[in-house]
Amino acid sequence: MDKLLRNKKAIAVFMAPGLILFTVILFVPICQSVYYSFCEYKAITPPEFIGLENYKTLFKDKTFWIAIKNSLFFLVFSCVTQLIMGLLLAGLLTNIDKGRNLFKNIIYLPCVLSSAALGLLWMFIFSPQFGINKLIETLGVPNYSVDGPLWLMDTNGFIVLPMWVIAFVSLWQYVGQSMMLYMAQISGISKELYEASYIDGCTKAKTFRFITLPLIRPMVATAMSLNAIGSLKFFDMVYNMTEGGPNHMTEVLATHLYQQGFKYTKYGYASAIGVVLLVMCLLVTAFINKVVKTEQYEM
Amino acid sequence: MKKLSISKIIIYLFLIIMAIIYVAPLLWVLMVSFKENAEIYTSPFGLPKAPTFENFKFAWTAGKLGIATLNSFIVCVITLIFSMIIGSMAAFGIARLRWKLARLSLTYFLLGMMIPVHCVLIPLFTRFAKVGLTNSLIGLIIPYLTFSLPITIFIMVGFFESMPNELIESACIDGATIYEIFFKVCLPLGKTGLFVTGLMTFVGNWNELLFAMVFISDDLKKTLPVSLSKFVGPYNTNYTQMFAAIIIAIIPTIVVYCAFSNQIVDGLTAGAVKG
Repeated sequence: MDKLLRNKKAIAVFMAPGLILFTVILFVPICQSVYYSFCEYKAITPPEFIGLENYKTLFKDKTFWIAIKNSLFFLVFSCVTQLIMGLLLAGLLTNIDKGRNLFKNIIYLPCVLSSAALGLLWMFIFSPQFGINKLIETLGVPNYSVDGPLWLMDTNGFIVLPMWVIAFVSLWQYVGQSMMLYMAQISGISKELYEASYIDGCTKAKTFRFITLPLIRPMVATAMSLNAIGSLKFFDMVYNMTEGGPNHMTEVLATHLYQQGFKYTKYGYASAIGVVLLVMCLLVTAFINKVVKTEQYEM
Repeated sequence: MKKLSISKIIIYLFLIIMAIIYVAPLLWVLMVSFKENAEIYTSPFGLPKAPTFENFKFAWTAGKLGIATLNSFIVCVITLIFSMIIGSMAAFGIARLRWKLARLSLTYFLLGMMIPVHCVLIPLFTRFAKVGLTNSLIGLIIPYLTFSLPITIFIMVGFFESMPNELIESACIDGATIYEIFFKVCLPLGKTGLFVTGLMTFVGNWNELLFAMVFISDDLKKTLPVSLSKFVGPYNTNYTQMFAAIIIAIIPTIVVYCAFSNQIVDGLTAGAVKG
């Protein structure tokens, strides 16, 4: 049997398709992308090495800094709110029996739906003519559809209102995922631990603080890195809700990359944005795993 | 005891409010999609006075959502089949075959989960354009397949590793070749895992927007999210038709979700618990 499992030919047959595909479609292009980022490369002309020029232009590009600001805002917002809301929902749902599955399934539902479609849906909800403003007007505030906030058009403030709206919608869509991960981890904790703590006179809040929280810490790291990468990659919803507008105020890295690369066909420049995005993803994952992840407890 | 029930009431109240926040927008869109366009200004929140299917018909044919649904379906099914075969083969190779670089190649695949697809967009697009793979569904299937591999391999490795050794041993003694062991013993036993990964791959690819938008420019080859984004835009003023289009785009996943929600949930947690 050992001979059978060490058969070189069999290993090659099993591994080759996956490894080849992965290398050709993912890793070679990433290396190419890094190379392109040092090149002057527009659609028609072949890439020409220009060193750090793209990065120099990039760091002077106002829209790029807006995109970085918005992406970082997204990152922090989604990490913090998903952690709080996810834990809250998971904690509440593991404490009730009736209707647990129903609520769980309802809250998880948007995670499997297309964020492109949901983005459009929320765009209509926040549109002044017949969305939420109109609803408030119908409920008794006169003229609210005219005087109410321009949810997706406002341009005031350091983080503009549309960004908050988009961040809220993305929280709405993806909080189910964090909740689900935390619930899975919580239901894996042995009941005896809880019983012991109740006998010792702990309140519910205290058991949550001293038993649940430490035991789900590894999952917090996992869920957070998923959120972080997801929020840096964020594209569909921004594209469909505002397209980066008004006046580039809601541009994030992914939409900026798309604009530069495929609207203006500046491939080299867009590659530089891609590299920045890649570095940020790797840094953030490493950071979260370093800070949040601790040793696994025996459960 | 009384105090406890009050806290339960508060919990339920909170959850019901959450549920309303989740369901109301979807119901609203559904309701509006049956209305006449003029009605949305006069009573945006009431029930439709004379429910009509015209909006759906228009979005399906003139909005090209029908052909887009078909394209999405073709792309997702083919991707699904190949990612299951290639992914579980690689997972078997990593989990069961004995060679030195098995762990390393698993890490290599898992790196793919951390990498944003945006980085490979430009090199892939230029290369695919050279070999004529842009504007074809195959050009979409290949990257989708590649990006589905990490999660498939990750979950399937877990399944293959948890299988008892005796199974393979006994098959071995009966004189099975390694390929027979894989296709006739291990793969049928890993059915649950395959099902779960398949569902996740399918849903993920069904919703993918960026790649499809960049790679496909021919209207007849666009996938659902792209056609939807194009149909529902600032230049269209017939809102009820756009609402119907949104419903068309999300109904298939809602149906799949209702049918398999437990498996999807299992897959999600199986995929992340060990990470």
